[in-house]
Amino acid sequence: MEPYLYGCRLDQDIIDLDQTVEHLQLALNFTAHIAYRGGIILFVSRRRQFGHLVESTAMKCGEYAHTRYWQGGLLTNAPVQYGPNVRLPDLLIFLSTLNNVFQQHVGIRDAAKMNIPTVGVVDSNCNPSLITYPIPGNDDTPVSVELYCRLFQMTIRRAKDKRRQMELLHGLSKPTPESS
Amino acid sequence: MAGSRLEKFGTVFTRVRDLMRSGVMQSNEKPIWYDVYKAFPPKRDPLYVKPYTRVIVKRPDLVPEIFYKEDKVRAKFYEKYGPSPRVFELIKSSHVSLSQKFVDKYTELQSQSELDETALFNETAKALLKQGILLRRRGAQPTVSAVSADAVEKLNIEDVWTEQQSASADSAETQHGDTQTDTSPSVDLNTSKTTE
Repeated sequence: MEPYLYGCRLDQDIIDLDQTVEHLQLALNFTAHIAYRGGIILFVSRRRQFGHLVESTAMKCGEYAHTRYWQGGLLTNAPVQYGPNVRLPDLLIFLSTLNNVFQQHVGIRDAAKMNIPTVGVVDSNCNPSLITYPIPGNDDTPVSVELYCRLFQMTIRRAKDKRRQMELLHGLSKPTPESS
Repeated sequence: MAGSRLEKFGTVFTRVRDLMRSGVMQSNEKPIWYDVYKAFPPKRDPLYVKPYTRVIVKRPDLVPEIFYKEDKVRAKFYEKYGPSPRVFELIKSSHVSLSQKFVDKYTELQSQSELDETALFNETAKALLKQGILLRRRGAQPTVSAVSADAVEKLNIEDVWTEQQSASADSAETQHGDTQTDTSPSVDLNTSKTTE
C-alpha cells in the first residue's frame, strides 16, 4: 500500500486521495460496463458491521451479495456444490478485502483462479496486488462504506437503465457500448 | 470450459488472452469483461506480489512523515500549558481549539514582527490575554476564570501578566514548600521571577 499513501501523521497513515479519485473512476467505469453487458456482480464483505448494508445495496441494484462465511469451494468447486452449468459471477466487488481475522479474503485468490476480475476497497492494512481494480480508501467507518455502496449502486443502476434504453431503441440487438 | 487456475502467474487478462490465442478457449466463450479490460486497463497490472515472510534487516520506511512548522509551536504550547480544560466540540466543524487559536495568533505575530521564538511566545500569550483568554500554566492552581474583554482593557496588561506569572510560580512553590509570599502587584514588580 506504500505507493498509495500520502504520508504518515503521528502514526496514522494518510491515503493519497488524488490517486484514489483516479482509481475510483476506473473501477466504477469497469463496473458500469460489466453491468451494461448484463454481467453478474457479486458484492463481498466479511465485515459484520456492514453486512446488512451490503446486502441491501445488492438487492437494490438487482445484483448479488455474499457477506457470510465463504466456503472453500464456492467458486472453485461450484459445479459440485451448486449443480452443473452454474453461471459464476463476472465481477466481484469487495467492500472490505479482509476477513474477520485480518487476513486477505479467500475470494480474492479464488476469483483470480477462476479468471474473474475483482474491484475492491483496499485500506492501508490490505494487500492490493491481486485485485484487478483496487480503490485505496477507508473501509472501516460507516460513512465511508455508505459512500462506496451508494456509488456502486448508482453506477450499476445507471448502466442497467442505459442498457434497457438502448435495447428499446435498437430492438433486441446488442449494441456495442460507446467508449467514454 | 477451459480455464487456468494459476493466480500467481501473470494477470487474469494475460491468462485469458493466452488461452484464446492458443485456441483452448473459443472466441464464443470469451468472458464479458475481456473487451472492457482491453479498453480500460487498470493503472497497475494485478500481478501477484509475494509478501515478505522474513524481516532480516529493517527496511527504510518509504512513507513520509507529515509535520508542519506550526507543530513546534503546538509542542511548546502543550508543554507549558498542558492539555486544555475546555472540551473539543467536534460536532461543530468551525470549532477552533485553544491551541489552534494560539498557533494562529503566533503565525500572525510572526508575520508582523521579527522577534525570536521565546519573545514571540510570550507576546502571543499576552495577545490572547487581551482577548480575554487566560492561559493557566500546567500544574498551577485554578485562578480567576475568563474575564470580560472590557474589564481586561481597564487593567494594566503588564501588571496582570507579572502577577499571573508569579502567582503560578508561587503556587508551584507552595506545592513543594510551605512559604507563602505576598502577591500584591507592587511587590511582584520588584521580585518577579523571570520566566523562560
